[in-house]
Amino acid sequence: MSQEIIDTVTQYCTKNIPVTLISQGAEAAIFTTPVHPYLQNTNEDEVYIIKYRPSKKYRHPTINKALTKHRTLSESRILAKLFQIKGIKVPKLIACDPYNGYIWLEFLGEDLPNGFGFSNLKNYLWMNATDSYHDNVKNTLVKVGEQIGLLHWNDYCHGDLTSSNIVLVKTESGGTWEPHLIDFGLSSISNLVEDKGVDLYVLERAIISTHSSFSDKYNEWILEGYSNIYKKHGKAGNQRLTEVLARFADVRMRGRKRSMIG
Amino acid sequence: MVNLNTIPPKNNREYYIAIGLEGSANKLGVGVVKHPRLASHQSGDNSHICKAEILSNIRDTYITPPGEGFLPRDTARHHRNWVTRIIKRAIKEAKLTDPKLDIDVICFTKGPGMGAPLHSVVIAARTISLLWDVPLIGVNHCVGHIEMGREITKAENPVVLYVSGGNTQVIAYSENRYRIFGETLDVAIGNCLDRFARTLKISNAPSPGYNIEQLAKQCKNKDRLIQLPYTVKGMDLSMSGILAYIDSLAKDLFKENKKNKLLFDQETGEGLVTVEDLCYSLQENLFAMLVEITERAMAHVNASQVLIVGGVGSNVRLQEMMAQMCRDRANGRVHATDERFCIDNGVMIAQAGLLQYRMGDVIKDLKDTVVTQKFRTDEVYVSWRE
Repeated sequence: MSQEIIDTVTQYCTKNIPVTLISQGAEAAIFTTPVHPYLQNTNEDEVYIIKYRPSKKYRHPTINKALTKHRTLSESRILAKLFQIKGIKVPKLIACDPYNGYIWLEFLGEDLPNGFGFSNLKNYLWMNATDSYHDNVKNTLVKVGEQIGLLHWNDYCHGDLTSSNIVLVKTESGGTWEPHLIDFGLSSISNLVEDKGVDLYVLERAIISTHSSFSDKYNEWILEGYSNIYKKHGKAGNQRLTEVLARFADVRMRGRKRSMIG
Repeated sequence: MVNLNTIPPKNNREYYIAIGLEGSANKLGVGVVKHPRLASHQSGDNSHICKAEILSNIRDTYITPPGEGFLPRDTARHHRNWVTRIIKRAIKEAKLTDPKLDIDVICFTKGPGMGAPLHSVVIAARTISLLWDVPLIGVNHCVGHIEMGREITKAENPVVLYVSGGNTQVIAYSENRYRIFGETLDVAIGNCLDRFARTLKISNAPSPGYNIEQLAKQCKNKDRLIQLPYTVKGMDLSMSGILAYIDSLAKDLFKENKKNKLLFDQETGEGLVTVEDLCYSLQENLFAMLVEITERAMAHVNASQVLIVGGVGSNVRLQEMMAQMCRDRANGRVHATDERFCIDNGVMIAQAGLLQYRMGDVIKDLKDTVVTQKFRTDEVYVSWRE
C-alpha cells in the first residue's frame, strides 16, 4: 500500500515536484519536498511537508469522501487561524486541496541525537527516560502545557493530542526545546468545556499508555503549564480554569467500568 | 524472567488441566483446557504458545423473544438452572474420569459483567471447588478474551480490538498491563447493535448482531449510504447518538412517516430506504469508526498485528474491513477467531486462569472469590508476560 500511496502522490505532484515519504500515520502519509508551490526557491536546504490523506479502502466511499474533504478543509482553516494567534506555535500553511486531501506545510523539527529518531515529544521523553526528572524535561513539558492552554484559551480544541503530535524545535540559542502542535485533522473550534476536558483526558491517557513509568509527573507538569496560561487572565481566567479542570476530572471518572476505589 | 512452570501439575503429571466457568452476560459457558508442561515455558515470553488442547467447550445462551433484551434476574435464573448440567457435559466430553484427581484449577469470571449472573456462576464454582478440593482462580473477562485469542491465533504482541455487547476497547500490552488506548465513551458496540435489533424486532437467536449482519448482506442499494454521525473522538468513540438517530429513522420507517425526506420520496410517497439499508449503513459507519481507532493505536505503538476478540469480532464484515486496513499498512496482519472462541465461552476463562495459576496466583480463601461488576482490563497485573 505504501507504494500505492507514493504512486498516487507522485502522479498528483507531477515529476517537477519530487516527493519522499517520511512517515505513514494512521490517517495521513507525510512527504517532504524541496519545492515550494509558488515561491522561487531561495535556499536549497529548505524542505516542505506535503500531507496526504489517502482514501481508505475499508471505508465506504461516501464516508471516505465526506471525511477527507471535511478533515482537510477544517485542518487548513484552523492552521491558518492559529498561525495568526500570538504565542501559539503551529506549522505554517502553504497550500491546500481539500477534495483530493492534500495540504502543503512548513517543515518543523529535526533528528534527536544518538539515534532516538525524530524530535517529537514521544521520542524526546524516551530519550530522557533515564533522567526523567531533569529540569529540561520539566521545562519542555510545562511549555507543552502552555501551548495547549493557549489553544484552549482561544477556544480551539486539538482533538487528537498524543505525544507524537507534539514536535519539538530547538531554540536558536540551542539547549532548550520549543514545542509545536501538529496534526489538526480532528480539531474544532469550540467553547465547550466538555471538548477541552476530553482533549486533556486524551493526552493524559496517551502519556500514561506510552510513558507509564513517569506519567504522573509528566501529566502534572503539563497541567502546570496549562494552568499558567489561564491564570494570566486574572479572575475570569481562574474561573474558566476551574471549570475545565472540573470537567476534566469528570471525563476521567466517566471512562467506563472504572473501579470504585480509584 | 517469566517462568510458567513454577507450580508443578497435580499428581506428577506432565500436563495441567483447568476448567473455566463463564457467565458474565447471557451466555453460560464451561470449558476444559489442557496445557502440556513445556521446557520452552521455563523462561521467556511464550504465553501465546501454550499448545493448549481444548478438551471441551460447552455453551448455552439465554435467548429472549424479539424486541426484548435479557434482564439480570432472568439471566441469573437461566444460569442457575443450567450450570450443573453444563458442567457435567463439559466433564463428560473432556473424558475426565475423576475431576478430583484430574483438574488442577477451577477458573471463574470475576468481572466485569452483570452482577446477578456472575453471582450464580461463582456459587457453582465455589461448590465444585469444595466438592473436589480444587483451588479457585478469578479471571478478568476481557483478559480471558485476549489470552484465548493469542493462544488460538499465535499472535505474539498484537493490538487488541475487544468488541462485545458490554465492551468496546482498543488495547495494547505494555509493562505487564493490557492498557486501554481507546474505548467507547457511552454504549458498547454490541449493545448498540442489540438495541437496534430490538427496535427492528428481529430475532435474538443466535444473536441479534448476527441477524443484523445477515440483513446488511441483503442490502441492495450499497452505493447509497445513509449518512450517520461519525463520532470518533481522538482515540475514543461515542455511539449513543448514532443509535438514537438510526432508531428514530427506523421508527419513522415503520410508522410510515411520509414527511421524512430521507426515507420517503416527497412527490410520489415511495419508500427510498429499507430495513436492510439501515442495517448496512449502521454497520459500515460503526465499523469504519472501529477500524479507524484501531489503526490509530497501531500507528501509535508501531504494531503491525491486530487481534479482534469479543462477540462482535465474529462479524465477517468487520474482519474484512480490518484485514483491508492491515493490508494497506505495510506488512500488517489481522487475527480473528470464529464464533466458538469470539463469543463468551468457558475455555477462555480456563486459558487465562491457567496462566495465572501457573504463575502461582491462586485464591487461598473463599472470601477472596467475590465477583465484581466493574473490573477494568488494566487493573490486572499480567505476570505471565514480559
